[in-house]
Amino acid sequence: MTAAHRSAWRPVILLVLAALAVLYLFPFAWMISTSLKPTRELYTQPPTLWPVHPSLEAYTGALIGARDWVLLRNSVVVCLTTVALALTLALLIAYPLTRLPVPPALRRGLLSWLLSLRFLPSLVVVIPIFATMRAVGLYDRLLALICIYSAFSLPFAVWMLKGFLAEVPPEVEEAALVDGANRWRAFFQILLPMLSPGLLAAGVITFALAWSEFLYALILTATPRSQTFSIGVWSFVTEFEIIWNQMAATGVISALVPVALLLLARRYVVSALTFGAVREKS
Amino acid sequence: MLFLLTVVVYPLVYAVNLSLQYYRLGGFAGLHNFAFAFQDSLLAASLRATALYVAITVSAEVLLGLALAVAVQRTVRSVAGRTLTYLLFIVPMVTPPVAAGVMFRLMYIPEYGILNVLLHNAGYQGRPILWMSSPAMAMFSVVSVDVWQWMPFAFLVLFAGLQAVPLDVVEAAAVDGAGGWARFRAIDLPYLKPLLLLVLVFRVTDTLRVFDHVQVLTMGGPGAATEFLSLYLYKIAFKFSNLNYASALAIYVVIIVSIVFAVTSRYLSEELA
Repeated sequence: MTAAHRSAWRPVILLVLAALAVLYLFPFAWMISTSLKPTRELYTQPPTLWPVHPSLEAYTGALIGARDWVLLRNSVVVCLTTVALALTLALLIAYPLTRLPVPPALRRGLLSWLLSLRFLPSLVVVIPIFATMRAVGLYDRLLALICIYSAFSLPFAVWMLKGFLAEVPPEVEEAALVDGANRWRAFFQILLPMLSPGLLAAGVITFALAWSEFLYALILTATPRSQTFSIGVWSFVTEFEIIWNQMAATGVISALVPVALLLLARRYVVSALTFGAVREKS
Repeated sequence: MLFLLTVVVYPLVYAVNLSLQYYRLGGFAGLHNFAFAFQDSLLAASLRATALYVAITVSAEVLLGLALAVAVQRTVRSVAGRTLTYLLFIVPMVTPPVAAGVMFRLMYIPEYGILNVLLHNAGYQGRPILWMSSPAMAMFSVVSVDVWQWMPFAFLVLFAGLQAVPLDVVEAAAVDGAGGWARFRAIDLPYLKPLLLLVLVFRVTDTLRVFDHVQVLTMGGPGAATEFLSLYLYKIAFKFSNLNYASALAIYVVIIVSIVFAVTSRYLSEELA
C-alpha cells in the first residue's frame, strides 16, 4: 500500500468513525435528555431535542414516587455480596490451581469445564433453578439472586484471577516461606497485596455483570423485597401508561453504574469478556 | 466446587426429572414432552425467528467489526485517536441490555420516538414507520440493538488481534507491491482466523439465548415475530406454567449447545490456554 493510497482513504474512514460516534452517543444523549424533561414537556409535538425546562422531576418521581430506591438498595446489596462471595471462591479455586502441584489433566479439565459454563444458556437452567428456589423457600429472597450470581460469575473470576496469579512469580512467596512465614501469612501479607489490582478489576467487572443481569432477577423475584433495579427499569416499560421521562431516568441510572465502573477498569474489559484470550496493552 | 455442583449440576438433574413427567397430571410420561416438540408449530416459528436473528446479527457484527478493525488499524495511528475509539466502543458493551432496550424504545416508539421526527425533517414524507409493531421492522429493531451493542466486541477483539501482526512482514509485502486487499487476504486474515472463530462462538451462543433487550423492546411481538427461543421458553414456563414441556425443550438446547461447544472447544481452548 502506497502513501497516496492511504491518504485517499483516510478522510473516508475518519468520516465513518465520526458518524459511528454520533450513532453510538445519540441514544445515550436522547435518553438523558428525556430523563431531564418535566412531564408536560413530553407531549409537545414534535418532541424537543433538548429539554427547554430541565428538571430532576423524573428522577425523584422514579426513585421516591415509584419507590425504586428500594430496588436500587437491593441491587447494591446483591452486587456487593456477589463480588465478595465470587472473589473468595474464585481465589480458593485459582490459588491451588496455580500454586500447588495439581495434575495437569485435572487442571485443564476444571478450567475448560468452567469455561463451558460460560456458554450454558441461562434459559436452560432457569427453570430448575426456579423450581428449586421455590422448594427451599428462597424464592423472592435476595439470597437466591446472590447464590445464582456468584455461581455464574465464578467461571470468569477464576479465569481472570488465574491470569493475575500467573503474573506474580512464585519465588516471591517462596522467599517469604524461607524467611519463616507460614503459607497463610505468605498468602495474606505478600500475595494478596500484590494481587489487589487484579482483584479490584475482577471485582468491578463482577459487580457490573451482576448489576446488568435481568433474566434471573425477573424469574426469581416477585416483590420489591427482592427485586433488583433492572426489574425497576423494565416495569416502567410494561405499565399501562408509560411515563417516558421516569423510564428514561431509571435507564440512565442503570447504565451509569456499569459504564462508570468499567471506564475505571477499561484495560480489563475485553480481556474479561473473552476469558483472557485477548489482552490489550493500553 | 461443591457450591458449583449444587447450583449447576443439580438443576440439570432436576430438569431431566421434570421433563419426564406429564404437565399438571404428574406421573411418568416417558418422552412425551420431547416428542411433542416436533408437533409444536409455535416452536417451529420461534426456531425460524431465532435462526434468522442469529444469522443476521452475527454476520452483521462480525463483518462490520472486521472491516472497522482493519480500517482503524490502517488509518488511525495516533494513540489519542485509538484510545478514543476504544472508549467509544467499550461503553455500549457494558451498558445493561435492559438500559439499551429502554434507549432504543425511546427512539423507536411511535408517540415519542425521535427517529420518525428526524426522518420527517430529513424529507421523508411517507407514513410514520412502525418500528416495533410491524413484523419486519420489529425484527430490524431488535437486531439493530444487538448490532449496536456487540459489533464493538468483534471490533475490539479483532483490533487487538491485528496488533500482533508483525510489522516487518507488512513492510516486506509492501516492498513486493502488495495492495491493501492483498495484504488483508494474505497477512491479516490468517492472523485473525483464531480470533474470528472466538468471536463467532461467543456471538452465536449469546444471540441464541438473547432475551433481555427483546423483552424490553418488543416482548416477542408483534404476534410472534420476535419470539425467540428464550422468550418462547419463558412464556411456556412462566406464563403458562408448563415447566415440564419447557424443561424438555431446555434439554434439547443443552444437547445442541454441548455438541457445538464440543466441536469448537478444542480450537477455542488452544486459543485460550
